[in-house]
Amino acid sequence: MRTLAKSGTEQTHRTPVRWYILVFLAPATLIYTVFAIYPIIESLRLSLYQAGDGQGIFVGIANYAKLFGEPLWADQFWNAFKNNVLLFVMHMLIQNPIALALAALLSIPNLKGAAAYRTIFFLPTLLSVVVVGFIWQLILSPLWGISPAFMNWLGVGSFFKPWLGLESSALITITLISIWQYVGIPLMLFYAALLNVPEETIEAARIDGLNGWWIFWKVKLPLILPTLGLVGILTYIGNFTASFDLIYSIQGGLAGPDYSTDVMGTFLFRTFFGFQAQLGDVYMGATVASALFFIILVGVGLYLFGVQRRLQRYDS
Amino acid sequence: MLIKERLSNAGIHTVLIAYSLLALFPLALILINSFKSRKAIFREPMGLPIGDSFSGKGYASVLSNSDFPLYFSNSLTVTCVSLVLILLLGAMAAHALSEYRFPGDTFIGIYLVLGIMVPIRLGTVALLELIVNLGLANTLTALILVYTAQGLPIAIFIFTEFLRSVSREIKDSARIDGLSEYRIFFEVVIPLVRPVIATVAVFSMIPIWNDLWFPLILSPGEETRTVTLGVQQFIGQYTVNWGAVLASLSVAIVPVLVMYIIFSKQLIRGITAGAVKG
Amino acid sequence: MATLELKGVKKSFGAVNVIHDMTLEVRDGELIVFVGPSGCGKSTMLRMIAGLETLTQGQISIGGKRVDHLPPTDRGIAMVFQSYALYPHKDVRGNLGFALKHAGVDKKEIEERVNNASEILGLSDLMTRKPRELSGGQRQRVAIGRAIVREPDVFLFDEPLSNLDAALRVHMRVEILKLHQRLGNTMVYVTHDQVEAMTLADRIVVFKDGQVEQVGTPLELYRKPANKFVAGFIGSPAMNFVNANAVDSAVMVAGTKLCSSKSAAGEVTLGVRPEHLILTEDGPFSGVVSVFEHLGGEAFLHMTLPDGQLLVAKLDGENSFSTGQPCSLGIRPEHCHVFNKEGYRIAE
Ligand SMILES: Nc1ncnc2c1ncn2[C@@H]1O[C@H](COP(=O)(O)OP(=O)(O)OP(=O)(O)O)[C@@H](O)[C@H]1O
Ligand SMILES: [Mg+2]
Repeated sequence: MRTLAKSGTEQTHRTPVRWYILVFLAPATLIYTVFAIYPIIESLRLSLYQAGDGQGIFVGIANYAKLFGEPLWADQFWNAFKNNVLLFVMHMLIQNPIALALAALLSIPNLKGAAAYRTIFFLPTLLSVVVVGFIWQLILSPLWGISPAFMNWLGVGSFFKPWLGLESSALITITLISIWQYVGIPLMLFYAALLNVPEETIEAARIDGLNGWWIFWKVKLPLILPTLGLVGILTYIGNFTASFDLIYSIQGGLAGPDYSTDVMGTFLFRTFFGFQAQLGDVYMGATVASALFFIILVGVGLYLFGVQRRLQRYDS
Repeated sequence: MLIKERLSNAGIHTVLIAYSLLALFPLALILINSFKSRKAIFREPMGLPIGDSFSGKGYASVLSNSDFPLYFSNSLTVTCVSLVLILLLGAMAAHALSEYRFPGDTFIGIYLVLGIMVPIRLGTVALLELIVNLGLANTLTALILVYTAQGLPIAIFIFTEFLRSVSREIKDSARIDGLSEYRIFFEVVIPLVRPVIATVAVFSMIPIWNDLWFPLILSPGEETRTVTLGVQQFIGQYTVNWGAVLASLSVAIVPVLVMYIIFSKQLIRGITAGAVKG
Repeated sequence: MATLELKGVKKSFGAVNVIHDMTLEVRDGELIVFVGPSGCGKSTMLRMIAGLETLTQGQISIGGKRVDHLPPTDRGIAMVFQSYALYPHKDVRGNLGFALKHAGVDKKEIEERVNNASEILGLSDLMTRKPRELSGGQRQRVAIGRAIVREPDVFLFDEPLSNLDAALRVHMRVEILKLHQRLGNTMVYVTHDQVEAMTLADRIVVFKDGQVEQVGTPLELYRKPANKFVAGFIGSPAMNFVNANAVDSAVMVAGTKLCSSKSAAGEVTLGVRPEHLILTEDGPFSGVVSVFEHLGGEAFLHMTLPDGQLLVAKLDGENSFSTGQPCSLGIRPEHCHVFNKEGYRIAE
């Protein structure tokens, strides 16, 4: 009896440390913390400092006051913000519907050549923005592009404009180029979601008398709503950060003509590193990055609590 | 009925082919012209590189006169090492998250995928400082570490979703067969996640190979330049040497293209396997 | 070859108690079956025996040796899972030999044991196939083969047949029974299918909400269920329960004495198996036919009593009734089960 009781208590206390969990988790967590999370938090902290002798001086929200208060800064900020919003809206209105339409066509059962189409549509997404930027400059440049000659050949030469060089059309042209490049990503996500709609559901709808078009609207679309939400938020994040690459490689750091294609990314880059006459400022750079951080946070928050909650998931 | 079906079929293919042309035309333009002499490019940008308009000079000058081979090996090193790290460390973390219950598991799970929503670029200011302090400025290591950190969240997310859908009985069975937890990971879990590795690889590789931001900021030096950055600067320098510029662009395209074609079939399978559910 | 002993085993996940207090002795060579509704803790108990789940309290011994501190491999057990759990990247031979190879058994011995197992299970022609190239039944056979190869003291099965279709399930059930007769090992078999339990088991353990309701041979459970839960769970169609009254050790329904029970008093429940009900001229159960299901050789008569209670009777296929027709059923006293208000069986 005595030994029994003893071993019983021994047992409840004996839980060996499971070191392997630590071994599996530690490397990823460490790299991610040091090179992703720490810099973001540190940037948030730096945004509350200003250059002083050697170390920064804590200034509270003075940098933000400057960013939103001084016309020199505020004008640039709001201009970049406005352009980003336009970029986002245009992507939502043009890119995602195109992606959805193409995905819907691709997911038609037994479509001939579906694999080939899929590969082709995704190709531009694979390219570096440097390549994409150059390709489209080669096509659109009034000096050495091929569009003028091509349009002459079509007999519509008089309609040619240096679209990338005009303030009125530069941003929309950049948007269209960006759409040309990135339509593949929402397309893949939609396509995968559409393929995941169970065959039985579609057959049931067919038996209920719906035809192809209505099946898409009434059955498939509601089922892939969560993916629509996901694509929306990915578009949002991408527009506020990744749009830098394309604009920088086509229009340069000044996001010309006359800042008409300036976005938060290029603004941040100029603020941080300086450009031409303007000197770089680490602390204002951190401030712009932090402002961008909050903008994205608002978007993600809206998505998580507003959109995603309402969009029911129809898993398995 | 049959006629109507055929008509709508033809309509569908017309739309798809039209968009295919739109997607391919600019690429074709680059490839075609990269094989042409400067004169031929301007005389007939749409012409095929045949007869006397053919010229391999562009490629020759890219591969000999410039530092392109170096850029290329830089990009390849950065991309491959980051990719291996992302896949390995990501799978390890995902395995731990999906297999074991431990205090704080939910928190760590959420923490590790936060990076999907919060782009690492926002930390650039501090990141540069960190890299400089670590003495890693202008090294490939800096890029590798940053890209690994950037790629881990999405990799962990996809792997975890996938591993949660895999029955745990197979791992239990391995335990009964006497495998240690480490060997279970390498001998059972790794083979299991193979279908989604392609998906993760493609999604992680594209932004790394094509990135302009971090090479420009963290390692712009001559020795550590990546292809993307190299091409970007090259275009500025050699605006006269068209053949070379076009050839350099083509060279920059090829690796991603090859990788994509290899993985393309598995990519879709991986996505639809429920990996990216949304 | 070994006995299996559970002593005061408890298990909780956080605040949830899944196994309350389990004590059980499984004899050497016995095939014991755990049955119970979904979520009652059968798998958890089995996984604790296997060593895949830690115990919150209690002990487990195999062959007289305490094993609850040992890792799964060292317990002398082998387990067959519902989802087969085959290694998808290894062929049948690889799957069968994996554990032995890992344990460092020499090649010739592995070869011999693998061939032996594949012969027993008729897998010899499939040795180079990958799991995805096998049918469900074949996969399950490989899973069983993998267990045989290890020559364990105790076999553990967790619903091994639930993923198979009905016909295959019957077939595999017979194979498992034959296997048990041939190998003579101690086996613990989990299922929620009571037919499997009845046909396979030497003894059955009925679980409910982490507690053992009754342990006994299939016939004991059938003839003398300890409570209403076991009575309803074992047997198909399920036992009928009718409200009854006990006066002076006579159990009465609608004023008619059906059987006698010395210790019964007041309100009781009378349990009657459908196959024990017989057609009579007048009562004691009289009512109208609500449904009549004909299965060919036999038929199920669903009858509504005047007070709204339902009775199902299993009749010979010769009979024929139509809905709404009045009818009358009776029962022999020795087939009556009497339960008290708490649902426990009342001794005769
Ligand atoms: N890891 C766990 N954490 C928390 N609760 C668990 C865990 N595993 C099982 N449970 C709970 O324990 C209870 C018993 O589960 P168990 O799997 O043993 O049931 P079961 O009898 O095998 O059911 P089934 O017939 O459906 O397989 C269930 O309520 C389940 O939700
Ligand atoms: Mg179970």
